[in-house]
Amino acid sequence: MLTAAKLRKQFGPVLAVNDVSLESAPGRILGVLGPNGAGKTTTIRMILNIIEPDGGTVHFDGVAFSEAVRNRIGYLPEERGLYRKNKLLHAILYFASLRGVHAAEAKRRAYTWLERFNLLSYYDRKIEELSKGNQQKVQFIIAILHDPEYLILDEPFSGLDPLNQIILKDILLELKRQGKSIIFSTHQMDQAERLCDAICLINAGKVVLEGELKEVKHRYGKNAVVLEYEGNGAFLSGLPSVKAAHVYENYAELLLHPDALPDAILPELAGKLALRKFEVLQPSLNAIFLEIVGNAGAAARAEKTA
Amino acid sequence: MNKTFAVARWEYVEKIKSKAFLLSLVLMPIIMIGFGVIPTLFASRADTETKVIGIVDATGEMTVPLAAYLDENYKLPDGRPNYILRPVLIGPAADLSEGKAEADSIVFRGEMEGYLLIPPSWEEGVDYKTQNVGNLKVTERLLAAFRDVVVERKLRSRGFDPSIVKELTKQVDIRTIKISSNGTEVASGFGEVFFTAYVFMMMMFFLVATSGQLLVRSMLEEKSNRVVEVLMSSASANDLMTGKIIGLSGLGLTQLAFWGIIGTAISLKFGSIPISPLHVALTLIYLVLGYLLYAAIFVAAGAPVSTEQEAQQITSYLTIILVLPIALAMPVLENPGGLMVRILTFIPLLTPTMMAIRIPVQMPSLTEILLSITLLGFSAACMMYAAGKIFRATILMVGKRPSLSELWRIIRLP
Repeated sequence: MLTAAKLRKQFGPVLAVNDVSLESAPGRILGVLGPNGAGKTTTIRMILNIIEPDGGTVHFDGVAFSEAVRNRIGYLPEERGLYRKNKLLHAILYFASLRGVHAAEAKRRAYTWLERFNLLSYYDRKIEELSKGNQQKVQFIIAILHDPEYLILDEPFSGLDPLNQIILKDILLELKRQGKSIIFSTHQMDQAERLCDAICLINAGKVVLEGELKEVKHRYGKNAVVLEYEGNGAFLSGLPSVKAAHVYENYAELLLHPDALPDAILPELAGKLALRKFEVLQPSLNAIFLEIVGNAGAAARAEKTA
Repeated sequence: MNKTFAVARWEYVEKIKSKAFLLSLVLMPIIMIGFGVIPTLFASRADTETKVIGIVDATGEMTVPLAAYLDENYKLPDGRPNYILRPVLIGPAADLSEGKAEADSIVFRGEMEGYLLIPPSWEEGVDYKTQNVGNLKVTERLLAAFRDVVVERKLRSRGFDPSIVKELTKQVDIRTIKISSNGTEVASGFGEVFFTAYVFMMMMFFLVATSGQLLVRSMLEEKSNRVVEVLMSSASANDLMTGKIIGLSGLGLTQLAFWGIIGTAISLKFGSIPISPLHVALTLIYLVLGYLLYAAIFVAAGAPVSTEQEAQQITSYLTIILVLPIALAMPVLENPGGLMVRILTFIPLLTPTMMAIRIPVQMPSLTEILLSITLLGFSAACMMYAAGKIFRATILMVGKRPSLSELWRIIRLP
């Protein structure tokens, strides 16, 4: 169980993290979501004791951070980097030795993981000869080679092609089944939606939404409508019963006012769009994110101009 | 501790494999030997051919004794005479210009190295005329010969027996002998003492300069390729910093050991090394403590840096601090017990070099040694503490370098 309570960090005049609390239990995945610059990475760095919080506490199974805890955490930073001039296996083994894994055991595990990520043929190559995506896979291997109980991944999916995203997703679910506490940050809501048990949405340094994924979506009710059509959907956001609309070329997601009935908008569409699909469902995490962060942004802008 | 060791090993092994390191390892002694040996080789190389020196002697009486003196004192390695006097014009002459013109033309033809012009008023000075005024050896030897001949001549004209004259004019050499408190007397010239002090100073300089630069470079590299964040999550800032310092000083020491072996071999071939094990042990204590102090400074100055340019600036500033004690070495050697020197000894940045010079020249008092070691050790520990804080706070920083007041604030944080 990883518990962070009321974390705070100030950088000069900017309050980067403002009383952020979060929790991750064994066998569960917590998604830390938020727009760029929200304070996700700073929060993660404080959990890892890389930067010292100005306030708040972090506990691992009730124990404060210590050197002993360090080897039980795996970390994939957002800013990827490796020793460029070194051979792949050599670099992996160095980090394993830093985390106290014996050389022979580290080597065995390294080969296993390299094989799973289709990197085995590269083991003797210099890291700089690898593609960006492959380098990222190497970094993931470095983060998990010491079999950590707590896994903290900052934007693990960014930069991976769909095939590798699936490999990574499968491994994450497998680690979850093994009982690891996993925290990952992302701003790709669809990834979060498919993987997380719980979410914690941070905006401008503050937690603005948190809880079990199901519960959060439930809170936003079953008043979202998804449309697929042909025609110009620009008018959709202007409809009276629509609270927010995300309109794409042939696809739109509409969030309705709480008291509005979904069927009520059907007549409005008649003759304007060639409908191919009309579905009433829970709003996507993406829509929730856009609504909350968008509203906050609008409020902040309004405050500034006032 | 394991992590410190892992970091130290990584830094050591990675750098020692690098081509740049191997190159400097081999190149540096070659350059040093080149600078030290080649000029002296050229300067003091014995002549292999007999040189012809002309003489225009208005007195007519100098030529024979001069020739005898040169023949007696200067021989080529194979036994032939080094110099032969070729008389151009001997005997009283109202006008020496004729002789001069002739001698000049012989020199221009390359048949003579130069010629000695002894005018009737020779007591006001004689001339040595040559195309090659840079050949100090010939000038020096001719001067000695002329002086000897003149003195002998003057004494003889006062009625002294030539054998007594020889006895009276015999030169006495002065030997320098170093007295140590334990009563042993070691024949050691200024040159040897200077050499020992110089070697220790250079050891200090190269150890700090090499390892310091590697430290800054290694931090910058990990910063710019973003490895540092993974490292920071795997080991504490102190483990990382200590590991780096140990690993890279190991590298510096490897370099020193390699050069030291070459140096010792050369010294043993050309003479003795006037140092005792006590000297070496004491100097090593200063070397290690001094190294730690400088390494901490390099870390504190290098951790906040995020561009190659800034790194270069920082290392060159720090190298200037390193050169300062070397510039002060000469006055210290001349007066190792002076007040100024004693004061300089207690400035921690200067302590190691000052002591490295003072110990072989004149052993400082026990109080001074203990006090200076304590002071140096204390400042090294303080600097290490501060460097640890700065390292942790700034190693993730990219962009603007923190100001001095910001660094001071970081150090004071609990």
